[in-house]
Amino acid sequence: MSALGGKAAGGDGINLTGTIVGIVIILVSIGITAVLGASLIVPLIGIIIGGALIAFGVHFVPVGGAPAAMGQAPGIATGVAMLAAGAGLAGLFGGAWAYETTGDFLISIIGGAVGGGLMMAITCLMVNATYVFAMGIPAASGKVAKDPITGDTFPEYKSQGTEGHGLPFISFVGGVIGGLIAGLGGTIIYIELLNAYSTGLATMMEAQATAIQPLAISLAGIFAIGFFLVNAVLAAYNITGTIEGPHDPKFKRVPRAIIGCAVASAFCGLISLMLVMNIGM
Amino acid sequence: MEEIVLGIGITALAGALATVAGAAEDTESDIGSQGDPNSQVQLAPQMGYIHRIFNKAVSGEPPAYGLWCAIGAGVAWAFLQLNYNPALAIILGSIVAVFIQGIYCTSGYLGRTASLAKFKQPVYIDILKSLTSVTMAHAFVAIFCTTAVCYLMSAALHHPFALPLLGLIWGIALGAAGSASGNPFYGKERQYQNQKFGAGVPISASGNIVRYAEAGQRSSLDNGWFTTKFAGPASGICFGLIVFLELWRTVLFEKSIAGWGAVIAGIVLILIFTFIDRWIEVWGRKTYGPYTEPEETSS
Repeated sequence: MSALGGKAAGGDGINLTGTIVGIVIILVSIGITAVLGASLIVPLIGIIIGGALIAFGVHFVPVGGAPAAMGQAPGIATGVAMLAAGAGLAGLFGGAWAYETTGDFLISIIGGAVGGGLMMAITCLMVNATYVFAMGIPAASGKVAKDPITGDTFPEYKSQGTEGHGLPFISFVGGVIGGLIAGLGGTIIYIELLNAYSTGLATMMEAQATAIQPLAISLAGIFAIGFFLVNAVLAAYNITGTIEGPHDPKFKRVPRAIIGCAVASAFCGLISLMLVMNIGM
Repeated sequence: MEEIVLGIGITALAGALATVAGAAEDTESDIGSQGDPNSQVQLAPQMGYIHRIFNKAVSGEPPAYGLWCAIGAGVAWAFLQLNYNPALAIILGSIVAVFIQGIYCTSGYLGRTASLAKFKQPVYIDILKSLTSVTMAHAFVAIFCTTAVCYLMSAALHHPFALPLLGLIWGIALGAAGSASGNPFYGKERQYQNQKFGAGVPISASGNIVRYAEAGQRSSLDNGWFTTKFAGPASGICFGLIVFLELWRTVLFEKSIAGWGAVIAGIVLILIFTFIDRWIEVWGRKTYGPYTEPEETSS
């Protein structure tokens, strides 16, 4: 509704009825998984945690949308869901590769996180380079008067008739943290799905695990990207348009997104794990 | 050792291809007006400013390029399965993808411009004829280079993901990098060239985009000419660095320190970029100075 100048619909609070319905959906999804394949409960919980992490990470990414492209608002000039997906998928690429070569869960998920963080660090750096060197515009936040990390003041650097521009240091740090957390969540989902599919498909098709590996990797990769987009889009709806990073008042809405994404991940996780469930067919 | 040397060579080639892909992607999105600044191209006729700028935001750049690169990589993968030469397979895949891009461009321009009929914005058939092929040519370069990068990752560096999946991932990353670095330059510096340099566009000026060139009306080709001076190369450097460093840290360090080498290298790179960013920010503040005295604004 902000495009019409009205107040954004929905507050920062948590809707109690919606939360209870969501928790029921999570419990039902876990219950169905427990009945149809008890060994798949751990992957499902991994998927739920991964989804919640993606939702959390997306809120850190400073996104300014169309106004940022005109230097009217701070942030990166693209959509929330798209940028977070770009960073998280770069992380997923690194994490999947690390899991292939090392086979170590911890190294892989942290490798995925670093991949996402590195992508965001380079992108945020180039955004600031464009603003400063090509457009002659210093960074200024519109939501806070002072940078919480560096203590730089912003109001006198904000050009007339705008809400700020560029990426202040706090937004840069937020972007990197967002990439790290989103990459972490995406890689956890991928590895959990891969483990479930590797063993599940091998049993179902009565084939060797090595023969089934390319199919399992592709399926897990496609579903991990799907989960990523589901969670990033839900988080973007919660943000409604633009966010500057962790210092933005909209960041307080994050618990709502975590609940929403956990519910969506639980249900989507159930569907994705049904591929390898013994449902008597 | 030989494997690492080959890996570094592949990494450098992939980085170079990604740089070309980033530059072509941003130039395509500026000539075709694909990214966020297209909101102003769409808005201008509604504010009474009739223009001759191409107007096609099919979707955000990342999903659009995710689709096109996935199609390119998917078709290339199918030809590779038929034992086609990899270079030919990638070219054929990119051609198929670029025709789909052209279809989206055409329907995007016609649909978006037709929706502005009640604001008296005409559909210019000559724009459609002359510019669609230009955006397709740039998109071909971007899709071909990205698909080639994905092929190198899959065939030479043995990434576990299949080629079409890599196409989707790196297409989305390409769009994200290109739109993040390129959009402000196209949106602020080019479309609002009539506004003051060194300041954001005041919200009251929205829709008043520059519509006239040195001679006659401004065409989107002029926008491509302008944005290749900075936004294209900047997007290329951005995407090239992402691909190069992501591969470099894995190829070189993945086996050191019990598998933690690539992670540590990534963290060191992030810290280096953080320092460079802070230096740029401080340089900008010192060089351009405050717009107003701090006392005035705080009152």
